[in-house]
Amino acid sequence: MNRLKIFGVLFIPAALLLAGSCLPKPHTDGGGVSLTVSGFSIMKETLEKSVYPGFAAKWKKEHGQDVNFTSSFAGSETITNQILQGLEADIAILSIERDVERLSAGGAVTANWRLLPHQSIVNKTPFVILVRKGNPKGIKDFPDLAKPGVKVIHPDPVSSGGAQWSILAIYGSELKKSEKETGGYDQARALKSLQAIWRNVIATPGSAREARTQFERGFGDALITYELEGLLMKEAGAEVEVVVPQSTIFSEHPAVIIDRNVTAQERPVVEAFLQYLWSDEAQRAFVKYHFRSVTDEKLNEDKKEFARIEIPFTVELFGGWTRAYPEIIEKVWREQVQRKQ
Amino acid sequence: MRHVRGFDVVRPLSVAAMIGIMLPLVLLPLYAIFWFGMSKGLGSFWAALTAPEAVFALKLSMVTSFWATVFNVLFGLFASYVLSRYNFWGRNALIVTISLPTAIPTAVAGFSLLLLWGPYGMLGKWVDPRGEWLMFTAWAIILANIFVTFPLAFGVIKPVFDTMSRSLEEASATIGATRWQTFWHVTLPSLRGAIVTGALLTFARAVGEFGSTILVSGNLANRTQTAPLYIFAKFNEGQVEAANAVAIVLALFSFAIFSVLFFARDWLDTE
Repeated sequence: MNRLKIFGVLFIPAALLLAGSCLPKPHTDGGGVSLTVSGFSIMKETLEKSVYPGFAAKWKKEHGQDVNFTSSFAGSETITNQILQGLEADIAILSIERDVERLSAGGAVTANWRLLPHQSIVNKTPFVILVRKGNPKGIKDFPDLAKPGVKVIHPDPVSSGGAQWSILAIYGSELKKSEKETGGYDQARALKSLQAIWRNVIATPGSAREARTQFERGFGDALITYELEGLLMKEAGAEVEVVVPQSTIFSEHPAVIIDRNVTAQERPVVEAFLQYLWSDEAQRAFVKYHFRSVTDEKLNEDKKEFARIEIPFTVELFGGWTRAYPEIIEKVWREQVQRKQ
Repeated sequence: MRHVRGFDVVRPLSVAAMIGIMLPLVLLPLYAIFWFGMSKGLGSFWAALTAPEAVFALKLSMVTSFWATVFNVLFGLFASYVLSRYNFWGRNALIVTISLPTAIPTAVAGFSLLLLWGPYGMLGKWVDPRGEWLMFTAWAIILANIFVTFPLAFGVIKPVFDTMSRSLEEASATIGATRWQTFWHVTLPSLRGAIVTGALLTFARAVGEFGSTILVSGNLANRTQTAPLYIFAKFNEGQVEAANAVAIVLALFSFAIFSVLFFARDWLDTE
């Protein structure tokens, strides 16, 4: 009985304390307005370090009101699914336009987002290959990734927009090169190249950022990713080199308001934030964190770290995302590459 | 009130209350996957289940869980023997350590393996230069399964060891049996029930493992994607039928295992 008492003295107060505190509540400041932003994985630095503080200062100056930001970052497909299932984000910044279309079809976005400036695209970046310092495997372009013994880290197209860009980059670059060499698009060559590279893929992490984390922990010889990930890694002193393919895709990233979640009261500040993304200040912030500007090519030309790509292309090569997804990601990658592993 | 003409009303009421509480928490969620799975007919359920990736994922889960179970049962036997036969300094600390994986988040189990076996890790440093690697292969899945199910077999076997009467073993020794003979003919038979229970618990838990596997396996369809990862991937793709078909199989499977657990133990021990 005595032992039971000791036990009670020790544990019952702790249990009461836990029970009394209920569930944790989100932190809110009185008076301010809070915005919830869902971003695809690599948007984190530029938003948190530059864009949020910049907009908060501007809004405070113009309206005397504090703006607080809550954000979550994950693969583009993952955050799209979260929003479709009810996540209360006010704004989403996604890796691929297809996800905006899915939000639109699911009723989360009701406005015509194609009428937004630059068809809702806020920034862009080309796809490159990251290799270990000194490039020990001698990788100079996408086809080298198919060499025997090369271990490739590639994010998972199921959850990551970056992974889908990467597939388009490989496939499209072979089309572009064959066009240059023979005058026509060689689909068989592009498919073969994609299949050969995928045989060397050893892991498919959930997002571009997760892929980078694995690569940083020493896994794999090469990583296909956004140029800015490579520049951020070099900035942090990582022992990597950026290999610029002869031909590659520029990924273009849209931002949209999640109309379903925005109240009339919040709308002015949410719209102001969205417009702010195309302001000079925000575009400069994107360039500072290695995204390329969509409003001012001069900003991109002035930045000497940016790679010069011999034969660049965009998703328009495939007829936009509405065709690229079913024709390349579904028909080519899923059916001809993934299934034939 | 308690007894109305010899009938105890509290009994049906309490059973009904219990089921009423379980309904939204456990029963209906389980029912939901069966209902959804069958809503499009058996044909589409079967097609989803026999997709090559689904079959592969289920097989991979079974095989990796099997080897993790073999290892953990053997280790559980060995550790139970050592820890209940010998008393030494640090014994209790070891017992607590063996039980730790139950409370460690499975995601932590996953990345701790990545850190250890990664090219810069303590063990990975030695393995990687030789061109061999464990992470992102089936071996990584087995290692993760071993880690997260580590205490289960041990937890079932050790109490039986502790309460086992030593007189039979002593008798066996006095008639000239070696330690090994005593263990094989005397100790082991009385552990049958505990070994089967421990193995089934370990296996059931390993088949359902997600958190650590998603980090260490590489999650490649047809290569390193286990059944729970397949469910997650298909759900992400919006192919809920495909996810659901495999979910039904796993649910039925664990129902079968726990039914066996419930009936087999007494039967094995009383034989």
